[in-house]
Amino acid sequence: MKKSWVIPVNVVIMTAMLIFVVLYSRYESRITTERQIEHFENTAITMEHVTENYLEGEQRICDVWARYINSRGMTIEEAIDFIRVSHVLQKASVHIVYLDTLSGLSTRPRHNAPDDYTVSYERMDILNDVRWIHEIGEAINISRAYTNPVNGEQSISFCNSIMVHDSQTGKPCKAVLLRVLPLSELEQKWVFPQEEFKNAELSIIDADGYYIIKGHSFKNSSFFEFYRSYNETGPGSPQEIFTNITTSTGSMTMFNSRGEKCILAFTPVTAAGGWSLLSLMPMKDLNVKSENWLLIGFVSAGLLILFVFDLAVMLYFNKRLQAAAVEAEAANRAKTDFLSTMSHDIRTPMNAIIGLTTIAEKNLGDVESVGDNLRKITMASNHLLTLINDILDISKVESGKLNLSPLTFSIVETVENLVNLSQPMVKEKNIEFNFRISRIDKEYLYADQLRLNQVYINILSNAIKYTEPGGRVSVDMREEESKKPGCVRLTYVVSDTGIGMSPEFMATMYQPFSRQTDSRVNSIQGTGLGLAITKQMVDLMDGTIDCQSEQGKGTTFTVILDLPIADRQREDMTLEPMDVLVVDDDEILLQTAVDTLESLGVTADRAGSGRAALDMIKRRHDSGKDYRVVILDWKMPDLDGIETIRRIRAEAGSGTAILLVSAYDWSDIEDKAKEAGANGFVGKPLFRSKLYDKINSILGPEIKSVEPENDYSDLQGLKILIAEDNDINWEIISAMLGMFGITAERAENGRICVEKMKQAEKGDYTLIFMDIQMPEMNGLEATRNIRQLEDPWASSIPIIAMTADAFSENVTECMNAGMNGHIAKPIDIKLVIKEIRRIKENEKS
Amino acid sequence: MKKLICIILTLCTLFLLTACSSKQPEESPAAGFKPSLSKDTSCKITVAGSYDNFEALEAEFDKFNEIYPNVRLSYVKLDDYNNVLGTVLEGNDKPNIFFSYTWMTVNEQYHSVFEQMEDLSDSALKLNLDCIRPGLLNRDAQGHVRMVPVFSRTYGMLVNKALFEKEGLSVPTTQSELMAVCEAFRSKGYASPMMGYSLKSSGCFMNTIAYPLFVATLAKNPEALTLANNLDPAAGEYMRPALEAVEKLVGQGCIDIGECDKIEDNYTKVILRFFEGDVPMMICTGDTVSGTKKRESQSEAFTKSPFEYAFTPIALTEEGGYFIDSPSVQFSVNKSCDNLEMTNEFMRFLITNEELNKMASVKRLVTPTKDLSFDSVYAPFGQVPSERTMSPEVLGIKDPISVQIRNAAFQVGKGEITVDEAVKRYGTFE
Repeated sequence: MKKSWVIPVNVVIMTAMLIFVVLYSRYESRITTERQIEHFENTAITMEHVTENYLEGEQRICDVWARYINSRGMTIEEAIDFIRVSHVLQKASVHIVYLDTLSGLSTRPRHNAPDDYTVSYERMDILNDVRWIHEIGEAINISRAYTNPVNGEQSISFCNSIMVHDSQTGKPCKAVLLRVLPLSELEQKWVFPQEEFKNAELSIIDADGYYIIKGHSFKNSSFFEFYRSYNETGPGSPQEIFTNITTSTGSMTMFNSRGEKCILAFTPVTAAGGWSLLSLMPMKDLNVKSENWLLIGFVSAGLLILFVFDLAVMLYFNKRLQAAAVEAEAANRAKTDFLSTMSHDIRTPMNAIIGLTTIAEKNLGDVESVGDNLRKITMASNHLLTLINDILDISKVESGKLNLSPLTFSIVETVENLVNLSQPMVKEKNIEFNFRISRIDKEYLYADQLRLNQVYINILSNAIKYTEPGGRVSVDMREEESKKPGCVRLTYVVSDTGIGMSPEFMATMYQPFSRQTDSRVNSIQGTGLGLAITKQMVDLMDGTIDCQSEQGKGTTFTVILDLPIADRQREDMTLEPMDVLVVDDDEILLQTAVDTLESLGVTADRAGSGRAALDMIKRRHDSGKDYRVVILDWKMPDLDGIETIRRIRAEAGSGTAILLVSAYDWSDIEDKAKEAGANGFVGKPLFRSKLYDKINSILGPEIKSVEPENDYSDLQGLKILIAEDNDINWEIISAMLGMFGITAERAENGRICVEKMKQAEKGDYTLIFMDIQMPEMNGLEATRNIRQLEDPWASSIPIIAMTADAFSENVTECMNAGMNGHIAKPIDIKLVIKEIRRIKENEKS
Repeated sequence: MKKLICIILTLCTLFLLTACSSKQPEESPAAGFKPSLSKDTSCKITVAGSYDNFEALEAEFDKFNEIYPNVRLSYVKLDDYNNVLGTVLEGNDKPNIFFSYTWMTVNEQYHSVFEQMEDLSDSALKLNLDCIRPGLLNRDAQGHVRMVPVFSRTYGMLVNKALFEKEGLSVPTTQSELMAVCEAFRSKGYASPMMGYSLKSSGCFMNTIAYPLFVATLAKNPEALTLANNLDPAAGEYMRPALEAVEKLVGQGCIDIGECDKIEDNYTKVILRFFEGDVPMMICTGDTVSGTKKRESQSEAFTKSPFEYAFTPIALTEEGGYFIDSPSVQFSVNKSCDNLEMTNEFMRFLITNEELNKMASVKRLVTPTKDLSFDSVYAPFGQVPSERTMSPEVLGIKDPISVQIRNAAFQVGKGEITVDEAVKRYGTFE
C-alpha cells in the first residue's frame, strides 16, 4: 500500500466508526425513546382511568341531587336551597336553569350584587342543544370549559336534566342542573403523576376537537385547529389523524406553538362518549439523547486524539527511520572507508615487513644491513600488532561486547610498566619526561589492569608521539578520596608541549579513525582508534576523560577514575630511623619524595641542585653525621647526577649509599654511574613501596653494588613444557628460550601435555607454557585435567597461557581454568622472561 | 502536498464532527427590548378576549417567555364576551389584559369596565404609543389612552393577481377601470367578476362597498354627521352615493347575487371560494383576509394551483378607493389585576413596531403601526393617499350609523328595497 494512503484510510476508518457510533446511538436513542413513549402512553392511560373515576365521582354527586330533586317534586328555589345545604365545596357552585328560558338560579350570588342569585345561559351556546345530556346515571354529562356567567370564572359543569315545579302553578318544567367547577381548581389537582413527565400537560377534547379541559400548552379553541396551525398539513390529510386521535389509544409526534417537537399521547375517555384525553410533552423532556451525544463526543474526541497521536508517532518513527537509513548509509560508507583504511594501514607495515625480509635475504652476508632490516621489521611488526589489537578492541567496543575483567593489581607495577614502555620513545625523541606521583597510599587496586594500562598508555604514547623532539611530557598521578565507598579516586594527568589539536578535531576526536589533518601528523604512525578506544574504556569504568588543547602549545588529558581498593595491601612499611637527602631540581618531585620518605619514618632533607647537595653532604660528613642514603636525580642542570656522585664519593667517601633516580632508561649510563659510585637505581616515579624496597635492599649487611641487568644465569637449566600445536610458534618460542639457556619440550596438543605430566617426575619441568586453541584437547581443558592429577607436584605446576586469545575475558577464562599467568601472542621475550622470574620468585617464597 | 492532504482531511473530520453539534436558535427574542424586571420573576398573566384562537398573541407569549421563562401567559376566550366582561373583571379570575372596543366608550354598561382600564399613556409605563397610527389611538377628554389597538380593520377586496395577469388586465384604480375590468372578465366567461358574502347583513359585501363611501360622504359634510349619529332620517340622503354604488355593481352584472348566496358564511367559505381560483375579486373586510394564510393549505384547489393575491381598496370613485382605518382589536390593562408590573412589562414588550407587525403578519390583519409595507397582501393600502384615509372614530362616527348603512346596503343589494326607500328609512333599520 502506498504511504500516502495511510492518512485517507485512517480518516475513512474514523469516519466509518463515527457513523457507526452515530447510527448505533440513534438506534439506542430510538429504542429508549420508544420505551419512554410507551411509558408515557401508559401513564396517559392511567391518567384516563383516574380522570374517569374522578368524573364519574363528580357526576354521581350530580346524579344523586338530580334524583332527589326529581323525586321530591321541588321548585327551583327549593332545589337550590337543598343543594346549597348539601354542597360543601368552597369554590364550586350549582346552577339550575330552565330549558325554555335558559335562565334560572345559582347557589352563589353575583359579586357585585350579593342578593342576586339569578343566572342566564341565554347567550351561552352550551345549553342551546342539550342532547349531549343523557338520562340520570347513564353517562358523564360534562360541558366544555366556559365562562361562568355568575362570576366570570372559566369553569366546567357536570349536568343532569331535571324537572322542577313552578312555584305558582305547580307545573313541572324542564331544567338543567349544572354542578359548576372552576378550572383553576381542577388544574391544581389534575397534573401528570410521574415526576419524569412533569412538563407534560393534559387536555380533554370532544369528538370535534374542542377542548373540554385545556392544558396551558394546548393552543386555540380546538385541538384540531391547534394541530393545523403549527404542523404541516395537506388538505384533508389531518382528518385521518383526528379520527385516529378521537377513536384509539396511541401516540404521535407534533410541533407545539414554540416549534418544539412534542409527543402526543391520546386515549379515549371511555365514560364520556367521543371524548379523548390528550397528553402533550416536548420530546426533549424525554431525556434520551444527552448520553448518546456525550458518547459520540467522547468517541469523536478519542478518535481524533488517537488520529493525531498516531500521526505524530508515525511522523516521529518516519523521522527515526530516515535518520536510521542515513546512519545505515553512513555506517556502510564507514565500513567501506574502514576497509579501505585498514587495507592501507595493514598493507603499509606488511609492505615494510615483506620488503625488508626480501632485502635481508639478499644481503645475508652483510650483518649490519641484516641487523638494520630486522630492527625495522620489528618496528613494522609492532605497529601491525598495535593496529590489529586496536581494530579488535574497537570492534568489540562497537558491538557492545567489551566487558571488564577486574583483578587485583599493583598500581606501582602499572606505573613502572608505563614508564618502561614510554622510555624507548622518550629516549629516541629526546623529550624531557617527568612522571610525578602524589600520595599513592593504596598500592593494590581491583580493576581491569589490561584496560587501565591501555587507557594510560594510549594517552601517554599520544603525548610522546605528538611532541616534537626537545619538547616536554609530564605525567601527574595522584590518589584522592573517592565518593564511592571502598574506592580511591585516581587522577591521571598527561601534559605535553606537542602540536596540540584544533577545536574542530577535538569535537570528533573520540570517533574511530579520527586523525588530525596536519602535515606534521602525517608522518606519525597511528590507527586513529586509540582515543576512541580510550574514551569507551573510561566510560565503561564510569570515569571521565577531559582534554584541554591549544594548537602549537600542547595538550593536557585528564582521566579520573574511581577504582575499588583491593583486599590485599602491603603490610606496614617503616624504615629504621635515619637521615636521607633527596636531590632534585624539580621542586614538586622533591616535595613528593620528602613526604614519601617521611611517611616511611626517616628524616629527609632536600637539595635543589648537585652543588647544594654536595655542600650539605660535606657539612654532615665534617660533623660526623653522614646521611645514610642520598637519593639523587640524574638529570639536573649545572651538575648532573653522575658528576655529583663522583664528587660525593670524592668528598665524603663511600659511607653513604647513593640511589640514582631517573625517569629514563639508564642502560646507557649504567656503567658510568657504577663507576662514579652509585649503589643502585630507582626509576621515577618514587612510590612509597619502591623506595622502601630499594632502601632496604641497599642497606643490607653490606651495601650492594648495582645488580647487573643482563644477568640471566638464574634461568640456566630450567626445563619448560610447551603445549603448542603450531610448528612455527614452537620453533620461535623454543629458539627464544634457548637463547637464555632454557630447555623446552614440546607437547603437540593438550592431551599429550596431560599425558606428559602424568608420566613426569617431580622437578622434570619448572613450568608449562600452554597454548589455548589446540586439536584433540584445548589448553583450558588440559589445565583443568592437570590440576586434577594425583601427584601434588604435577597438579600444582605453574601453567602460563601463551595464546593469541588476548582479550581480558580470555585472561579471566585462563585464570578460572587454573592457570597462573597469561602471555599474549605475538610474544615479547622480555615479558616471557619476566613471567618466568615471577614464577620462580613465587616458588621461592 | 502530503501535509496539505493531511490538513484538509483533518479539517473535514472536524467539520463532520461539528455536524454533530446542536442547531443554534435562529432568532433571538426581541432584540431591542430591554427587560426592566428580574428575569426570574414567576407569575401568571391572562389575556381575555373574544377570539376563538389567537395564535399571533400566543407566538408573542412564547417570545416573551424567552426573556421571562417563568411567566405563564395564557389567552382565554370568554363566552358572551361583551356581556360577561364586566362580571369577569369583578370576579376571582380577573384577566390582566382584555379586549376592548371603541364602541364601549359610549355605552353606559361598560362604565365599570372603563373604571378598570389603566391609563396606558402614563409615561411611567414607557409604552411606545408613537408607533401606532394616530387615527387609531382613542384618547378620552383628559388625553388618557385606555385602549391600545393591536389590529385595525378596513374594507376592500381580495384580488387574484394571477387571473388579472392571465387575462391581460390590470387591477382597477378608478371606478371606470373597475367597471371596464368587470366587463372584460364577464366577456371572458366569468359569471361574477366580483363576489362576496350576501346571505346575512352581518358581514355582507354590500356593507363593505357602502360603508367607506358613506363615511367619506359624512366626512365631506360635517353637518350631516350629527344628523347621522342622531339617526335623523334627514341624514338618509347622505347614504345615497353609497347605496347607488352597490346597486350599480349588482345591476351592471359585476356581482352575481345568486353566486354570492352560495357562500355559506362570511369568513371560511368566502376564503375557500376565493381560493378556488376563478374569482377575480372577492369583496370582504380585513378580518376575513386574516384567515387566508391558514386556509391556503386547507384549500385543495389553492394547494394544487397556488396564486398570488392582494387586498386592495375598492375603486368606487374616479379618484380611487378609500382606506377606512379603524381599530379592530384593542388591548386594555386591568389595573386591579394581579402582577400588574409584569403585565405592563408585557405591554411594553408588545407595543412596538416589530412585535405588532409580527402579530399582524401571523394573524394577517392590518397592523396598527405606521408601516404597512411589510405584508404584501396589505401593501396597496399603504399607498392610499392621506386625503382618502379616514378613521371613523376620529370623525366621530358612532356605532348606530354602521347598523343603518349595513342594513340599507344589504337590502338594496339584495333588491329588497330601492335606494330611495332605503334613504327614507334611515334611522329605522335594526
